[in-house]
Amino acid sequence: MSVILKVSDRGGTAVVALQGEIDLQNSPELRKELLGSLADRHNLVVDLARVDYIDSSGVASLIEALQTARRLGLRLSLAAASAAVMRVLKLARLDEVFTIHPSVEEAVDRGG
Amino acid sequence: MPEIAARRHSNTYHRQIDLIAEMSQEFATSRDLGEALQRGLKRVAAFVEAEAASLFLIDEQSGELVCRACVGPVDIKGLRLAAGHGVVGRVVRQNAVAVLKDARHDPDFGALVDRHSGLTTRSILCAPLSVRDQRLGAIELINKAGNGVFRPGDRQLLRALGASAALAICNARLTKAMVDQERVRRELELAADIQRSMLPGRMPESFPVAGLNRPAHEVSGDFFDILRLPDGRIAFAVGDVSGKGINASLLMVKATSLFRCLVKTHRQPGRLLGAINRELCEAAAPGGMFVTMAAGLLDPRIGSVVLANAGHEPSILHRDGTFTAFAADAPPLGIAGELVSEAMPERRVDLAGGALYLFTDGLTETRRGEAMVGADGVCELISRFAGLPCERRLHTIIDELAPAGSSLRDDLTLLVAEDRRSKPLLAEHFEVCPERLSEMRHKVDAAARTAGCAAELAKDVVLAVDEACQNIFRHAYRGKGEVVLELRRDGERVEVGLVDFAPPSDISRIRPRPLGELRPGGLGTHFIRSVMDEVSYSPLPDGAGNLLIMRKVIR
Repeated sequence: MSVILKVSDRGGTAVVALQGEIDLQNSPELRKELLGSLADRHNLVVDLARVDYIDSSGVASLIEALQTARRLGLRLSLAAASAAVMRVLKLARLDEVFTIHPSVEEAVDRGG
Repeated sequence: MPEIAARRHSNTYHRQIDLIAEMSQEFATSRDLGEALQRGLKRVAAFVEAEAASLFLIDEQSGELVCRACVGPVDIKGLRLAAGHGVVGRVVRQNAVAVLKDARHDPDFGALVDRHSGLTTRSILCAPLSVRDQRLGAIELINKAGNGVFRPGDRQLLRALGASAALAICNARLTKAMVDQERVRRELELAADIQRSMLPGRMPESFPVAGLNRPAHEVSGDFFDILRLPDGRIAFAVGDVSGKGINASLLMVKATSLFRCLVKTHRQPGRLLGAINRELCEAAAPGGMFVTMAAGLLDPRIGSVVLANAGHEPSILHRDGTFTAFAADAPPLGIAGELVSEAMPERRVDLAGGALYLFTDGLTETRRGEAMVGADGVCELISRFAGLPCERRLHTIIDELAPAGSSLRDDLTLLVAEDRRSKPLLAEHFEVCPERLSEMRHKVDAAARTAGCAAELAKDVVLAVDEACQNIFRHAYRGKGEVVLELRRDGERVEVGLVDFAPPSDISRIRPRPLGELRPGGLGTHFIRSVMDEVSYSPLPDGAGNLLIMRKVIR
């Protein structure tokens, strides 16, 4: 099962919906997907609603994507993080680094 | 006239009785028997009007007659006569009084005493000193005054005094023997105290190694020792010195001291026994004495023992109701320094919740009726009392073999090393690789919940284990490799142990990255330290691998 559930275009903002557990096995796939979307000059919203686990390798992919977005002048935000994912982001103090929206809609409204 | 003679005779008789009574009393109560004998001799000589008197005792070593007291013109104390020499020798041999009118006509008269004393012996009265058949020596009186002859009354008096002096001498010797015996007993007690002080003291209840020694006599030829090493491992040993008694116990003291001293530098049982062997061989004990010894190192964190056995009784592992024996794989210590290589063979014994027993042949060779208890009998006792806490268990087994008050034929020594970790809720061998992490996480999650972790806490434990496995994959093996994962409840905490078999790794040196620095990677170690209460990395002994232990209090 792929960690990428769906990638959709919402008015120029790419929404990447993830699912399941993000770990060492599938984080390379996530990294590739996020960097690919950024290469296409899309602002990004990462929909974490269906993600119930993320490890340091998954977090590393998100960080790398954020750094790339900043370099390219694009926006990247996270949306609908579960308590489990928020716990990990907070452990890494990334809740202060990432823009995290309660829902995908809110994130898209704010332009990613 | 006859009346006067009779009165005089009666008078003399009473004085004799008084003298015998007085001197018997003095011999019996005197603190210094030599002095009392000397005084006694003087009084007898005066009483019977002898020119000289001497008391000879048999020297127990040489059999010679040695003059111990004398009265007369010259002091001949210390004069030695060959066994059986002269009139004195004959009296001792025949155990009978001799009365000589003129010594010069006696074939045994050797005039040796004359030469030393400067006397010219004419008459002699000589009585044996003996108690029943035990001959001690003789008392000799020389030259009755006025060229007279010793009379029957003199003879009776000397016999009576001889008997009472002999009894006093005998008593004095017995007393001395008792004093000597008492001194030896006190010294043995002191030796036993010293020996007991060399045994390890009482361990706290929670300590996973315990031992017990019950000596057959005051001092023991058995020993055991238990020692906690600075790295957390516990060294232990049980030994038995060939032979019994004080010489065996002295060699035992040497072997114990060597163990205690060398274990601090030789932290591998095989090398340790090799080193003790070389030391013992360098100054070999007399009489071909040797030492059998089994030594082990318990790593209580992983419940594993490294064991070496030099000629000792097999060690027995009791686990899940079954017994496994590990026989000696090297000869006893102190026999051949050159035949044994530097390190004796050793083996790893995983206790896995079981207990390893080391003991001396005093246990297996205890008699029950006709038959010996044997290894099977020891196993039966271990099995019967397995439910008791370890120190109680050792006492009960020894009591069962040697009920209080019974006399022991041999020293009994029993030691146990236990795996005190609780039974793991998860024990998995698996290959770390990205594809297997998900399966592993679900097992850890289930086990953590079984251990009593709430859902959130279980997720933290899962994260820590996952990150630890990733570190092993990335930094220890740099690829796939075997790990052993165990999760258990330890009191109020959940404990995860993760062993890899990679070369000693630098994982412990991986530091969490500064969080202010926004870059991928380096987060795993930070996660582990954040979510767990205790994290410790340590290499396994002998480069066998690495051990990570993580603990978390369950709230």
